[in-house]
Amino acid sequence: MSIVHVSDLHREYQQGAVTVKALRGVDLTIEPGEFTALMGPSGSGKTTLLNMIGALDRPTSGKLLVDGKDLASLSSSQLSDLRLHRLGFIFQSYNLIPVLSALENAEFVLQLQGMARDERRKRVRETLAQVGLAGMEDRRPGELSGGQQQRVAVARAIAGKPALVLADEPTANLDSATAQGLIELMEKLNHEHGITFLFATHDPRVMEAAHRVVRMVDGKVAEDLRK
Amino acid sequence: MVVLAMRNLFRNTRRTLITVLAITFGLAMVHLTITLQTGSYADLIRTGVSSMAGHVVVQAKGYQEEKDGDLVLTRTAEISQRLAKAFPEGTIAPRLVLGGLITSPRGSVGAAVSGIDGAAEAKLQEIDEHVVQGTWLTGDARGIVIGRDMADALQVGFGDKVVYMGQHGGATEVSSRLFRVIGIFRMGNADLDGFVAFVDLPAAQEAFGQPDVANQVTVHLPDPNRSPAAAAEARTLLADIDGIEVLDWKQALPELFALIEVDKTSGDVMLFLLGAIVAMGALNTVLMAALERTREFGVMLALGLRPQQLARLILTEGLLLGLMGAGLGLVVGTALSWPLVHYGLDYSAYMGDTYETAGVVLSSVIKGRFNPLRMTTYTIAATFMTAAAAIYPAVQVARLQPVEAMRHT
Ligand SMILES: Nc1ncnc2c1ncn2[C@@H]1O[C@H](COP(=O)(O)OP(=O)(O)OP(=O)(O)O)[C@@H](O)[C@H]1O
Ligand SMILES: [Mg+2]
Repeated sequence: MSIVHVSDLHREYQQGAVTVKALRGVDLTIEPGEFTALMGPSGSGKTTLLNMIGALDRPTSGKLLVDGKDLASLSSSQLSDLRLHRLGFIFQSYNLIPVLSALENAEFVLQLQGMARDERRKRVRETLAQVGLAGMEDRRPGELSGGQQQRVAVARAIAGKPALVLADEPTANLDSATAQGLIELMEKLNHEHGITFLFATHDPRVMEAAHRVVRMVDGKVAEDLRK
Repeated sequence: MVVLAMRNLFRNTRRTLITVLAITFGLAMVHLTITLQTGSYADLIRTGVSSMAGHVVVQAKGYQEEKDGDLVLTRTAEISQRLAKAFPEGTIAPRLVLGGLITSPRGSVGAAVSGIDGAAEAKLQEIDEHVVQGTWLTGDARGIVIGRDMADALQVGFGDKVVYMGQHGGATEVSSRLFRVIGIFRMGNADLDGFVAFVDLPAAQEAFGQPDVANQVTVHLPDPNRSPAAAAEARTLLADIDGIEVLDWKQALPELFALIEVDKTSGDVMLFLLGAIVAMGALNTVLMAALERTREFGVMLALGLRPQQLARLILTEGLLLGLMGAGLGLVVGTALSWPLVHYGLDYSAYMGDTYETAGVVLSSVIKGRFNPLRMTTYTIAATFMTAAAAIYPAVQVARLQPVEAMRHT
């Protein structure tokens, strides 16, 4: 079963009198274990598409199945639950809670899932070690570098063992070497643990690493390349 | 959740501290006010009740409404004895007030002459302690104790003779009685010092022209709260005596208690306004703190946090803010009130040794008194007002859409 199945998806925004057509009939299917990069010029609809798949926003029309569920039929609290239990998110930047330590940030999702404290702590320590942050559990985001912060975000995204991790330009604010490290980390997680990733990105290094590159133009899929 | 809320509050330590201190200060003021109010009301009631009424007041029917000095009880001794027996812990004070003229060879003044039981009143009032020359009433049937100003007006001193003249009990003739000044008091109040004189009850009864009469027989109890129950008891006890009315303290002094209620209410309005201002400050803090975290809330919602959970977080922050402020306010307020309770606030520089409220002459050193019930009430109210100030921001954040919130910069 595919994790994501999108067909003829439209999303229009009303901006005053103008209707902005952000998505104009997208068709896309993502299978488990894929490591896919969405690319395309600015304004082509990458973020919009990720938000639809991430159940953060509703399409204007079209079919949208995530983890086998038709999102149109779910209530907003069911969508919350879907995000909490089945999806992981990594955003461009500043997406950690500044007053919580690395460990507390990473365990946030598990806490919401209602996992018992001891199990949670164990899981989070393992996950932080996986992303190379062993020993930095007690640091607050302000005491971590940008790359380390993104690693905490990755740990938070994967700690809950989601079916799909969505990442919107995760490397955009990182320097080249740090970005490379983060990409390798995600590749490793994909390779070793079979975690499915879907990126929106302009970063050529991400496209390099991706197994599949979907190019969007004007709110449509223009090219779908599997390596 | 509580930990997260606490840390959020101390993200901007200065802002939070300012808000907490505003609540602390506001509530401390409230506590001070309450302590002073409670003290002065207690003083007012105690002094007013003991000098002008009692916890049980027995008087001729109609006296309460008409305040006519000729309306008298005719079996004063018997009523006093029965009451003394029924309330052994209390003090029984019969009173007969005569309105007339006091004259000396060198002058005359209009006066209210109180015929009283000197020993009993000495226990109830402070006037005997303010005798500056001579003595308080001794049981001498010719003795009179007058105020300093009256003595000056009459140009008399200790040991001098004065004559009381008045018309009482429906008599057609003016009666007169000779007294000797055995004491001069100074209360520091013009009405008392200029127009009031004290004599022993039998002497006043003679001047009235009828034995065994009094305007009131009053009972003063150690526990003022027993007043209504005691009045009811006395009513049954004296049911066989016609032409009397038995009142409790509130019935006897309705104006005094009404005045206190009005004062209390206007005080409460002030305190409420103070609370509202402080709550606005708290609202500002919580709202600002919430607005500047919109992006962060968007991320939390995206991760699967429910809007209600987010609202609860904001409410918790408000509640914690309130708890800190109210807790500190209670401590600071109590600490500041302490000297008021123990030493009192001395207004004598502005008001002289005494001042008058609602006809009651009070010492100008106002002593505070702790009122745990009201202090607790206001502390809890302050906590909840602050928490309530977080409701609006909480509702706002619960409405956030994750995508829009995250676009927020
Ligand atoms: N909330 C919104 N209201 C109005 N228009 C919007 C909104 N969100 C996106 N758009 C518009 O939809 C189009 C697609 O935007 P989107 O953010 O998906 O592009 P993108 O491919 O992610 O671009 P970038 O590479 O710059 O991030 C743009 O024209 C954008 O202006
Ligand atoms: Mg984008």
